[in-house]
Amino acid sequence: MNGIMEQKMAIEFNGALKRGTRKPIGPINLQIPQGYVVALVGPNGSGKSTMLNLMLQTIHPDAGEISWFGEKAKEALPLSIRQQIGYVPENPTREEHFMTAESAAKFRAHWYPTWDWERFEALMTRFEVPRGERLNRMSKGERRKFEIAAVLAAKPKLLLLDEPSSGLDPFAWKDMIDELRACLDGEDVTIVLSTHIVEEVKRLADYIVLVHHGQIVGMAEKDALFGSWKEVWIRGAQSDELKSIPGVLTCREDGPSITKLVVSDSLEFEEWCERERANVHIIKSRSLELEEILQLWIQGHQPGQSN
Amino acid sequence: MWIPIQINENSAEPLYHQIETQLRSLIVSGQIEEGTLLPSIREFAGSLNCSVITVRRVYQDLENEGLLRTRQGTGTFVASVGAGERDEYRRTVVQEAVEVAVDTGISVQYGEEELKQLFLQILNKKYKGTDGKGASQ
Repeated sequence: MNGIMEQKMAIEFNGALKRGTRKPIGPINLQIPQGYVVALVGPNGSGKSTMLNLMLQTIHPDAGEISWFGEKAKEALPLSIRQQIGYVPENPTREEHFMTAESAAKFRAHWYPTWDWERFEALMTRFEVPRGERLNRMSKGERRKFEIAAVLAAKPKLLLLDEPSSGLDPFAWKDMIDELRACLDGEDVTIVLSTHIVEEVKRLADYIVLVHHGQIVGMAEKDALFGSWKEVWIRGAQSDELKSIPGVLTCREDGPSITKLVVSDSLEFEEWCERERANVHIIKSRSLELEEILQLWIQGHQPGQSN
Repeated sequence: MWIPIQINENSAEPLYHQIETQLRSLIVSGQIEEGTLLPSIREFAGSLNCSVITVRRVYQDLENEGLLRTRQGTGTFVASVGAGERDEYRRTVVQEAVEVAVDTGISVQYGEEELKQLFLQILNKKYKGTDGKGASQ
C-alpha cells in the first residue's frame, strides 16, 4: 500500500471478452488495485453487471483472461479465492425466496469460513431487517438490507456490489455507506460497485471506471477526475477567438458579451487571460457535476492526471 | 480526531493542494500539537469525501517536509518540530508568499518604490488597524 511497494491487484482483466446475445462486452483490460474502492459508472445496458459477473465467475470470458489476487483461473475459481469474494446482485436470487433471513444466513455461513454471526446480528439490528420473515415477503429495501448485512458478515476481502443502494431509503443508505467505510478501515478490503448514485461515488470511490457500449472508456482517480474540468463564465471576449486557446473544450454565448466555457486547466486559463487579454474578465467558475464529466469523457476528452 | 479543513470544490486549486496547504498551516501554527495522532488515510478520506490517493499524497508530502511521521502499524503523527525548525519553516512560508506578491507586482509593471509604499500601507492596516494612508514611513 506504500508507494514504494508494488501495488497488488485484486482483479485483472487481460483482453477478456464476452460475446453476448445483444452485443459483445469487451475486450476488457482493467486492473482493480487491492485495498481501494472502484466505482463502475455508465449508462444502462453498458455492461457493468456483466463485468461484475465475470469478476464473480458466474460467467466465463469467451476470450482473454481474468486473474484474482494474481491467480489465473481458467476453470472454476478455487474455493479459497471464492470464499474471499462477497456479492450483492442487482436482483436477489430466487433460490432463497422461501427462506427466512436467518436460514439464508445459515446457508451462506457454511460457505464463508470468516463468517461472523455477531456482526450479522448487529447489522440486522442496525438495518432493522424483519426477523423470521420469508425473504420474498420483504419489501425490496428490506431484502436489500439483508443482502448487505449478509455480505458484510461474511467478511470478504473483495466485495462486488451491483447497485447496492437500489430500494434503500436515505437513512438505510447512510447506514450502508457508514458500514462499507467501516469495513474498509484497517483491513485490506477491495470494493467494486456499479452505481448511478452520484453521492455514492463521491462518498466511497477512490477510482472511477467509465463503461460505455461494453467497453472501458477509462479509469481515473476520483479527485483528479472531478478536478479535470471547470466551467467558467467570462466577459469581453469573442467566442471565435476563444476556440483557438489550448485547453478550451467547449464555449458558447450565455447572454450579452458573456461566454460560457469548459476548460481543462482553469489555473492556466486564468493566467492566459491575465497575460494575453486584459479586457477579458472571469466572472465566475464552477466544478462540473459527475454526469457532465462523464459526458465529456464519453465524447473522447481525456480527464487530466494532474489531480 | 476531527481536523478543520474546508474544501472549495469550485476553486481552481487542486484538491490535494487545498488539503495540504490547510493541514500544513494547522501544524506549523501549532493548532494541531506535536505528537497528535492523525486519522487513518481511509478515515480522513471519508471525512473529506476524497479518495485515499489524495490523502496519501498529502501525508507523504508533509512527511517529506518533516512535519509528519509515520510509525509502522500505529499511524501518522505530527512530528516534533523544533523551535528553530519551526521558525525557519515560518520564514520560508512567508518568504515564498512575499515573493509571489512581488512577482505579481512586476507582472503588472509596478515600480519598486510604488510596491514598497503599498506594502507599508498594508502593514499599517493589518498591524495597526489604520487605513495607512499618509503613514507610509
